[in-house]
Amino acid sequence: MGDDPDRRKILTCAVGGGLGLVIAVPAARLVLGPTGEQTVTTPTDPLDVGAADRLKVGGPWQKVDVVAPLVKDGWTTARDVVLGAAFVRRTADNQAQALSAVCPHLGCAVGWDGKNFLCPCHDSKFTGDGDAIAGTGPAKRGLDPLPVKIEDGRLRLTWIRYQLDTASRDKA
Amino acid sequence: MTKQIWRVLGWSLVMLLVVEALTGAALAAFYAPSSTDAWASVAYVQDQMPWGWLVRGLHFHAASAIVIISGVHLLQIAVAGTYRERAAAWWIGLVLVLLVLGFAISGYVLRWDQAGYWANRVEVGIAAGTPVVGGLIRSLAIGGNEYGNLTLTRFYTLHVIALPALITAGVVVHIVLAKRARDWSDGLRAAFAMAAVFAVLVGYVVSQHGADLAAPADPSAAFDARPLWYFRWLFELRHLAGSAEKLAAMAAPAVVGGFLVALPLVDKPERQAKRMPWIAGVVGLFALIFVLTIASFVQDSGDADLAKRQAQAEKDASRTRALAVKHGVPATGPLDIKQGIVMYRARSLYEKRCTGCHAATSKDRKGPIIGAGHGNRAWLTAFLKEPSGDAFWGHTKLAKTDDAMKPVELGEGDLADLTELLYAQSGASDVDAARRDRGKVIFDKACTDCHAIEEGVAGASAPGLGGLGSRDWYTSFIGNPKSPVHMGSDHSQMPRFDKDLSIVDRDALADYLVWLRTATQRDVDLLEPL
Ligand code: FES
Repeated sequence: MGDDPDRRKILTCAVGGGLGLVIAVPAARLVLGPTGEQTVTTPTDPLDVGAADRLKVGGPWQKVDVVAPLVKDGWTTARDVVLGAAFVRRTADNQAQALSAVCPHLGCAVGWDGKNFLCPCHDSKFTGDGDAIAGTGPAKRGLDPLPVKIEDGRLRLTWIRYQLDTASRDKA
Repeated sequence: MTKQIWRVLGWSLVMLLVVEALTGAALAAFYAPSSTDAWASVAYVQDQMPWGWLVRGLHFHAASAIVIISGVHLLQIAVAGTYRERAAAWWIGLVLVLLVLGFAISGYVLRWDQAGYWANRVEVGIAAGTPVVGGLIRSLAIGGNEYGNLTLTRFYTLHVIALPALITAGVVVHIVLAKRARDWSDGLRAAFAMAAVFAVLVGYVVSQHGADLAAPADPSAAFDARPLWYFRWLFELRHLAGSAEKLAAMAAPAVVGGFLVALPLVDKPERQAKRMPWIAGVVGLFALIFVLTIASFVQDSGDADLAKRQAQAEKDASRTRALAVKHGVPATGPLDIKQGIVMYRARSLYEKRCTGCHAATSKDRKGPIIGAGHGNRAWLTAFLKEPSGDAFWGHTKLAKTDDAMKPVELGEGDLADLTELLYAQSGASDVDAARRDRGKVIFDKACTDCHAIEEGVAGASAPGLGGLGSRDWYTSFIGNPKSPVHMGSDHSQMPRFDKDLSIVDRDALADYLVWLRTATQRDVDLLEPL
C-alpha cells in the first residue's frame, strides 16, 4: 500500500510542509516580534534638563540635551541616555517654553542661528517662535512645543516624539 | 566582437560581488551590532586593525563600483535591445539592482555614526510616510518604537543574511538566463577587465585610506545628513519638487522602475532603427539622473555655511576617533568617550561653571584666581600676607568692606608655622608636625577672635578653617559657600551649587581642586585637552 506513488507524494508534502511550518512560523513570529512593540522605553514623566537660572527671563533660546536617567533598550539598561535635544527659553520667573529640536519633516536635528531655526537636511526654516516659514523647506508644520515647567529652580521637560511629515501633531 | 566586449561588465560585477562577500565576512568577524558597540567596533577596524581600513574601504567603495558598472551594464543592454530576447534576465537584473540598493541602505546605518544614523532616520522617515502601512514599515524596519539595539540587529541580519542569500540566487539565475556562450577568448577578456576594475578600486581605496567614519550617532547633535551618492538624484529631486516632494520621493522611483520593467513588453520592433524612441528614453532617463546627481553636489559645494559645519563635523570625527584609539570606547557607548580623559567630568564642569569668576584670564573675575598650586604652602603664605591682593580677595565685594581680613604681620618663621597649620588642614601627607603645632599656638593667640580651626566649627565672624583645602571641605564649600562655617551669608558672592550640581559632580570638582594643590603650571598645561 505504501507503494502508491501519489500517496507517497502527498505524504512527503504533508510531512515536509508540516516540518517547515513548525520552523517557519515561530521564526517569522520572532523576526516580526518587535513590530509595534515598545522595545525602547522612553520616560513619559518630566526630565530634569538643568537649572532654571541658566536662562534669563526674556532671554534667547538655549539648546539643552534631553537625557533620560534610565532607558531600557531591548536587552540592555543604560543610565543617562541622550534622547534628543530641545530649545528652551524663559518667559517669566516661573514659566518656560520648549521646542523639540526634532525637525517635523523627517526628524533631523535643527539648529538655532540666533534668529531662525534651520534644518540642515532639507532646508526647512522656522521663525524664532518655531513656526514654519513658508517656501523654505518641506516641513508641514512648525517645530513641536514640549511641555516644560520650572520646579524648585529646575527645568523639567517632557520628551515627546511626534509623527513626522504630517501637518497635524500626533504622538508617534 | 564589439558586443562581446560589453560582456566583461557582467563578469566585473560578479568579481565585485565576490569582493563584497569576502571583505564582508572579514568585517563581520569584528562587527558588534549594538547601539553601544557598533561605532566602536567599526572605528576599531578602521583605525586599529592591521589592514582594517583597506578591507573596510574595499567593502564600501566596491559597492559604488557595483552601482556604476550596473548602470553601464543596464544602459548597454537597453541600447543593444537584447532584453527583447531575454526579458526574464532583464527583469532579474532589475531586481538585482534593487538588492544592491538594499545593501547600501542596510549597510550605511550599521556604522552607527552621525552620517549613517541620520541618513537612515530620513530614509525610514520617507518610508514611514507611505499611506496606511507607513507606521508598520517603520516599526518593522527599526525593530520597535525607537532607534536602538534592535535597529542594528535587524539591519545587520538583512545585510549579512537575507540580502546575500537573495542576491546569490538572483545572480545565478541571471547568468543562466543570460545564456552566454563562454569561449576562451571571452574568459581572458573578462579576466583582464576584472583585474583592471580591481586595480582601480584598490587604488581608490588606498587614496581614501579606506572609507570615512563620522562621529558616533548622537540624537541630540545636528548633522547635515546626506544620502549615499547614488541616492543623491532623489535627494535633489525632492529638493526641486518643493511642496510636492513627498510625491516626488514616492513617484520618481516608481516611474523609473515601472518604465524599465515595462521596456521588454512595449519595445517590440525588430528593426534597430525603429527602436530609437526607446533608446532615447532610456538614455534620457540616465542623463537626467546623472544631471540631478551632479546638481545636488554642486548645490552643496556652493554653500559656505554647510562647508563650515562639515569641517566642524570632520574635526569632531577625528577627535573622537583619536580618543577611541587612545583610551578605548567606554562600555556605555561612544557618547561617553570623553570620560576617558583624565578628570574629564571635573574639568569640563570647572570650565563651564567656575572659570568665569576664578580664571586668571577671565575678564570679569569675581573671586580669587584658582590655578596650579592653589592652597599649597606658597599660596597660603602669600594669602596671609595680602588677603585682599589681586590674586586673592582683590576682585570681591568683600575686599572693599571693613569685614575684609587684614594682612597678617608676622616674622618669616612664625608665618611659616602658621602656614603649616593651615596647610595641615588639607590632610596632606607631608606636614611638618612640629611646625604645625607651633602654628597652632600662634593661631590661638592671633586668629581666634574671628576664626575657628576645629572641624566643622564656625568662626566668630569669619570662616571656620577646620579641614581647609581637604576634599570634604571643598565639596562642602562648593555646595554652600554662604554657610556659617564658611563665608557666611553676606561675605560671599559665590552661588551655592548644592542644588545645581549633584554630589558626584561636587566631589569630582573637589578632587580636581585637591589635585591642583600639588600641580605645577606645567602639569596643568600637559593635561589632555577637553
Ligand atoms: S528633516 Fe528637516 S527639512 Fe527634512
